[in-house]
Amino acid sequence: MSDKVYSWLLRLYPSHFREAYGEEARQLFRDRARAEKGFLPAVRLWLDLLVDLAISVPREYRYGQPQVRAATRQPVEALPSFHVLEVEPPRFGALFLGALFSLVALYGISVLFSHPGEYRRDGASFPPRQTQVDARPSPSGPALSHAATTAYKRMAASGQPVDARLRADASNPSDSQSKAPLPVGQTSSPQEQVSQLMPQSASHSMNRLAEEVKLDAAERQLVLNTVIKNLQEHYFDPEVARKATNELRGHQHDYDGVIEGGTFARLLTGLIREVSHDRHLEVVYSQSRLPAQPPTPTPEALARYQQRLQQENCTFEKVAILPHNVGYLKLNSFPEPSICRQTAMAAMAALNQAKAIIFDLRDNGGGFAPMVSFLAAYLFDHPEYLYDPRVSPTQQSWTRSPVPGNQLADKPVYVLTSTSTVSAAEQFCYDLKMLKRATFVGERTRGSAHAGIWYRIDDHFGMGIPETRPVNPFSKTDWEGTGVEPDVKVKAADALVTAEKLAERKMLRR
Amino acid sequence: MPKRKLDPLPSAAFQILLALADEDLHGYGIMRQVAEQTCNRMRLGPGTLYSSIQSLLAEKLIEEVGLGEDEKLGQERRRYYRLTSAGRKLARSEAERLADLLRVARVKKIFRGEYV
Repeated sequence: MSDKVYSWLLRLYPSHFREAYGEEARQLFRDRARAEKGFLPAVRLWLDLLVDLAISVPREYRYGQPQVRAATRQPVEALPSFHVLEVEPPRFGALFLGALFSLVALYGISVLFSHPGEYRRDGASFPPRQTQVDARPSPSGPALSHAATTAYKRMAASGQPVDARLRADASNPSDSQSKAPLPVGQTSSPQEQVSQLMPQSASHSMNRLAEEVKLDAAERQLVLNTVIKNLQEHYFDPEVARKATNELRGHQHDYDGVIEGGTFARLLTGLIREVSHDRHLEVVYSQSRLPAQPPTPTPEALARYQQRLQQENCTFEKVAILPHNVGYLKLNSFPEPSICRQTAMAAMAALNQAKAIIFDLRDNGGGFAPMVSFLAAYLFDHPEYLYDPRVSPTQQSWTRSPVPGNQLADKPVYVLTSTSTVSAAEQFCYDLKMLKRATFVGERTRGSAHAGIWYRIDDHFGMGIPETRPVNPFSKTDWEGTGVEPDVKVKAADALVTAEKLAERKMLRR
Repeated sequence: MPKRKLDPLPSAAFQILLALADEDLHGYGIMRQVAEQTCNRMRLGPGTLYSSIQSLLAEKLIEEVGLGEDEKLGQERRRYYRLTSAGRKLARSEAERLADLLRVARVKKIFRGEYV
């Protein structure tokens, strides 16, 4: 028995030592064991062996010389040759450890992949921005938001719902675009719109040129004058516009020597906001050239948009009853009610019997405020005012609650959010949060209110001006730049599980 | 991998050389001889013993003399080792070095009375 234990301990030695002396070492051990009988000698024997092991094993590994066991053949001059140090195949233990380490490494990499951390999706061309001035992380860069904004402006002018505004901008080109179709009749992505306007090579050289161009006094003056003119003509409060104008003119000397466009835009924005306290007023600088003409939404494009919405079930991706009778609605945009009213009503009817309801807005790229109001109506038993930073209050700012037959008005509501929750989805979140009607689970939303109307100043400057006086009964600020904070902060991927647990716990308490 | 050094000579290696000075011995015999000549203070374990033997062999201070039987220990055949002349020379010079040390120690009077 003890011989076996010792043979096993011998495996700790490197193989070349075992091969040369393993048998002799065992023999020596047997001889000693035979000679030293009795309890105390046996204890001393094992103590000796352990001390010996502790000293000699590391030494063998350090100094032991693996012998050259075989050479493929006689080395030929000027040819590489190989010498095999060990002929024995890898031990089972070594193979097992190797496999284990590979698995651990693979798992580690996959964990790293699923936790990419925070990153910005901004267009690469955008200069570093300060949160105060331009915290809106417009996913497609200023040139694109401009395209979308001007498109919106025309839409508004043509009598379409004002809320149609920046959806094209809001829909993220990378992930939510496929799920959240672009309202405003633009089925092509903002990227395509711009490339339609500017041939690729041309825009590229423009970009390069733009980087080299520095502001001169003439352009500064032109920008300043246009900003002032736009403020006076378009801002809804002429008194504030006048004050802002004075402020801008009063700091004339501060502009001298500002040659970087982004800095200049931030400077102007700061001055305007100091007087107006309106976070939706901003001057924006774009390194790439701003397109002169907005894309035209054609009737065909509108039809395509409508068709696509219907194909995608109006972005109502999933309507389900989860365990414990928790209703679940995954909604990836707030589509135009004129097209999607039936779908929305069907979805809400399917969830009518639920004991709690989870709105999954983690991939919601925004949409139309009337749909926000349409869905929110189910959550109240009396009309509630929903704040929308883009419009003055109208009759439609109130929900049409109570909805006949609806049983959800007093049920717990959970809203799942992520950093991809944008725009109209944030309006839904913001208003429900201010009305304390829902528990928010997930990540902070992106922070895009898109309240201003876009005015192009020149190739690189533009500004956003709200033309209406929105009434925010809840707070001086909204979610512009800051997003809507969740009540329960978890990773977006874990939000659903967390919300389910919360809902379950709440129902148990009832 | 660095080569194991026998300079300075480790005490285990020196004891092995001394143990082989009188007669050829196998591993266990070396161990017992070393224990005997050190009044049981040094009991070489197999690992230390054979790694020392390995390096002594590599330096050609000892050599293998083939397999033989030890009647006292049964029928098993054992490998015997013999001191080479180089090994004997090294053992002598190491002993002289220690003798010098001993002389110095004696001059410095760090021995108690009972030692020579």
